[in-house]
Amino acid sequence: MKSLRVLLIMMVVCGLAAYPGLAAAKTLKIGSMSPLTGQYAADGNDIRQGVETAIAMWEKKGGVPGYDKIKYYPQDSACDGKQAVSSANKLVNLEVAGVIGAYCSSATIPASDVLNDAKIVMLTPASTNEKVTERGFKYMFRVCGRDDDQSKAAAKFLINRLKIKTVAIVDDKTTYTQGLADNLEKALGGKVKVVAREHINQGDKDFSGVLTKIKALDPDVLYMSLYNPEGNLMAIQAKRLGLRATLMSEDAVYHPNYLKIAKEAGEGTYFTFGQPPSKSIPEVKAFLDAYTAKYGEPGSYSSYAYDAANILLSAIAKVGADDPDKLAEAIRATKMQGASKFITFDEKGDSGSTYKVLVVKGGKFVPFWDPETGKDF
Amino acid sequence: MLAKKSLKLVMFLVWAFILLFPMLAVKDGQFVWERLLKVMAVLTASGLLVLAYTSIPKRTLKPGFTGKGLPFRIPPKGIIAAGIVFALVFPWLTSNYARDVAINVLIYISLGLGLNIVVGLAGLLDLGYIAFYAVGAYTYALLNTHFGVPFWIALPIGCIISALAGTIIGYPTLKMRGDYLAIVTLGFGEIIRIVLNNWDKVTRGPNGILGIKAPGVFYPTIGEGGIHFAHFYMKNLFWLYYLILVIAVIVMVSVYRLNTSRIGRAWMAVREDETAAELTGIHTTRMKLWAYILGSIFAGFAGAFFAAKVRYVNPSSFVFLESALVLCIVVLGGMGSIPGILLGAAAIIVLPEVFRDLELYRMAAFGGAMTLMMVFRPEGLIPAKPRKPDDEGEGKVSLSEEGARAHG
Amino acid sequence: MDVFLQQVVNGLTLGSIYALIALGYTMVYGIIQLINFAHGEIFAAGGYLGVITLSFLQARGVLEHHPILGLALAFFLAMVYCAFMAVALERIAYRPLRGASRLSLLLSALGMSIFFSNGMMLCQGVYDKAYPHFFVSGGFHLGGVVITQMQIFIMVGSILLMVALNLFVNRTRLGKAMRSTAQDRVMSAILGINADKTIVTTFVIGASLAAAAGVMVGLYYGSVRFDMGFIPGIKAFAAAVLGGIGNLTGAMLGGMIIGMVEIFAAGYLASEYKDVFAFVILILVLYFRPTGIMGMQVDDTRV
Repeated sequence: MKSLRVLLIMMVVCGLAAYPGLAAAKTLKIGSMSPLTGQYAADGNDIRQGVETAIAMWEKKGGVPGYDKIKYYPQDSACDGKQAVSSANKLVNLEVAGVIGAYCSSATIPASDVLNDAKIVMLTPASTNEKVTERGFKYMFRVCGRDDDQSKAAAKFLINRLKIKTVAIVDDKTTYTQGLADNLEKALGGKVKVVAREHINQGDKDFSGVLTKIKALDPDVLYMSLYNPEGNLMAIQAKRLGLRATLMSEDAVYHPNYLKIAKEAGEGTYFTFGQPPSKSIPEVKAFLDAYTAKYGEPGSYSSYAYDAANILLSAIAKVGADDPDKLAEAIRATKMQGASKFITFDEKGDSGSTYKVLVVKGGKFVPFWDPETGKDF
Repeated sequence: MLAKKSLKLVMFLVWAFILLFPMLAVKDGQFVWERLLKVMAVLTASGLLVLAYTSIPKRTLKPGFTGKGLPFRIPPKGIIAAGIVFALVFPWLTSNYARDVAINVLIYISLGLGLNIVVGLAGLLDLGYIAFYAVGAYTYALLNTHFGVPFWIALPIGCIISALAGTIIGYPTLKMRGDYLAIVTLGFGEIIRIVLNNWDKVTRGPNGILGIKAPGVFYPTIGEGGIHFAHFYMKNLFWLYYLILVIAVIVMVSVYRLNTSRIGRAWMAVREDETAAELTGIHTTRMKLWAYILGSIFAGFAGAFFAAKVRYVNPSSFVFLESALVLCIVVLGGMGSIPGILLGAAAIIVLPEVFRDLELYRMAAFGGAMTLMMVFRPEGLIPAKPRKPDDEGEGKVSLSEEGARAHG
Repeated sequence: MDVFLQQVVNGLTLGSIYALIALGYTMVYGIIQLINFAHGEIFAAGGYLGVITLSFLQARGVLEHHPILGLALAFFLAMVYCAFMAVALERIAYRPLRGASRLSLLLSALGMSIFFSNGMMLCQGVYDKAYPHFFVSGGFHLGGVVITQMQIFIMVGSILLMVALNLFVNRTRLGKAMRSTAQDRVMSAILGINADKTIVTTFVIGASLAAAAGVMVGLYYGSVRFDMGFIPGIKAFAAAVLGGIGNLTGAMLGGMIIGMVEIFAAGYLASEYKDVFAFVILILVLYFRPTGIMGMQVDDTRV
């Protein structure tokens, strides 16, 4: 009895709490979704900090025209459909003008359903699965590259620049890494022999079993299609076991942490990444300065998230946030130099990708090769 | 008295300092005092507050659930009616976010009630319950995307396949007892998740299954030439809420009937003393298997609905933590008690949402809250057995009478 | 052949780590019948304390001159810290629940596990923490087999700790008190053994072993991470059950078996299914020997 009363009260309270509050007239609301807790918290926080940096810079410039202030609602979407849908609905309720997120494709896809129905623009800084934009959603944009683009760049590099014969590919069975590895295998098209295609699990620490197996096959390159923590560990263990192979990896492993943890085991590793953080481009420099001052070195997704927030805010500055169709149009028409790359959108909402190859040299990421020109930097 | 308590507080603070100092005050080889001082100040202040609020009588803990007597008292009709009315009008009053949370609560109520059969009634500790939920979800997802099977047909199929999985998992575990059972069920749960994640050809692995249809309904319309049946998909949360409400009510009623039935009493006998139960002629192995099967059927129900609601399934929704959450609902609510599970599910699902604004601190707060709830209400929010300190035997009689009344 | 021997070395290393964690599980289980989910987080805290101590010493330049001393200090501080942590854990989350349902206790442990792993994330940040380098590298080549210094260190260190633990449990007064409390708490209390004290001792010893394992893992893999405790925790729990829960030798054996199965499954079968193989072995063993390899009759009360 009493319990039911408590239940009733609880439900009423949560109902009331969820009731759309009276929005202050001149506040611009921006939401983001990324895993703030759990396994992917590191990348999720990079995204949050990237958005915060962009907002702070807009505020410094005097804010977005037509609005008094910008309010930011970062949501923890974990990496899971249920949480993602809840947080998407929460953002719809808050009547945000646009959402940056989510991180995992498995969260982005169900969340984009909700946001698209509610006509809220969503810009993902990290979900590279083709499906995200292949569904013809009008309000869905992608700032990072697509799996197929990155794998093409990597394949080009392995065939044309390194001119190797054999490669072993390891992925960790997530949407992103597996898709990338599959596409790489396809893009290599038999020109480089894939001697081993292994999978590990997320959260594993010990790869000695797999690496011993790969060592016996002695490939020229070990391609690690992993996330950062596993990538760091695998680099160390590969070198320790005495693998001859050159290491190569992608933008999810690209992180200052790789240099800190893998140390000299990571020396000579190649990466494919959107834009080498060169300070010669003023936009990149502005981002690096602002970000580093507050949060330390940016991670792989910080710059994408920063760009996504900038695209959204500039579009709002142009057309306002009242009409979602106009806003989506304005975003589609974006042409700007971002911190991660030069951004334009195609019909589907993909921003295209210009991947560069970087190498770890002397404990730093150094630009190495440009797949577009086929030349070294 | 106060001196003793102050001493306790000081001890607590010393302890907190020892535990927090290396974690908070040393970072990358340097001392950073500011954070530690802040936290210690907060702890001291709250400690002093607690000290001031010393009038709390100490709760003596009773031995936990021994399961004597039938589960719970049925709330008076008025409350039930009010609850039904509230549940019916809820989506009219609220926004999508609240509806979404309410749907999640109802899903977890179904899951909690199902697990309650296994854990609360039959006394089998199951740490891999979410596997059946996954089986239900994947069954609908696969049937729908490959063969276009509609929700209403896939629902019973999903239940059958979940029940099959329950039999397969239940059978080898029947000989095991106590915590051996716990790790084996945990193992099974992990096996199913890993297989879903790796069997690319069938489950599409980590990519998950996209493009699942929402449940569709036919409704009559009157147009030219008589009555037509139009079809529409219950895509929005408003309709989905009513659907899951119906499912949850069905589960609730079935579990209630099971509670008071012969089989329910047999389960409880098995739980209390397996040897004695066997001697009285209960087929214990069969009873345990039935508990697994029925429990997994309800999870299959919930799973199929989940797939229909999110319209995308992916193995990352079926991790061990989810099993733990469902178990938490059962225990927190008060094992074997249906109103308890309603409240438990509301608490476990709504709490993380309430904590949403804490961002980074969300899960830490949730974990702390979980321990606190267990420490302060170890027998659950609404214990299965009404607590009667003086006469334990009496409650049993009156409750079984009540059960008989409800039966007739 | 080289590959096979290399895999054996890999398996023994991983198995030693699991065995060390499993010991703490099995001891706590033996004495209060609790699956201590927070044990994995204690292991992670040990790893963190190791990195905190070592990088502090490195920043002060002490580590370069006295690496062995620094290492010893890291182990010592980690073990002491985790002992304190375990005492606090027992006091806050477990002692109030003594006599309550075992499931409540289990969930209280689970709550603490979530709290600690997220607490570590909040305190030390979301990124992996790197161990100072020069312990990590270096090794011997025996034919085609590579054995690193750290692998030898882990194997020898765990064997020493396990022998010490066995001596403690079997030879000392406190150890005997532990065993008798595990067998019959009421009777031991009547005979004048302080149950609270004995339980706390058990927690302290289990936690120190986990802390040692944490530092070793940090050194071996080169980094620690806030959520590193959960998966090894579950594996170690499986190892403890496989060996027969409550049995120390069983836990060591179970740890070794799980480690070996994982490495061999990864090396010769499919790496993505290695956990499946580990659990299938566990289920098979329990099906034919429901009390584990070295287990005795478990008490009949369930849930």
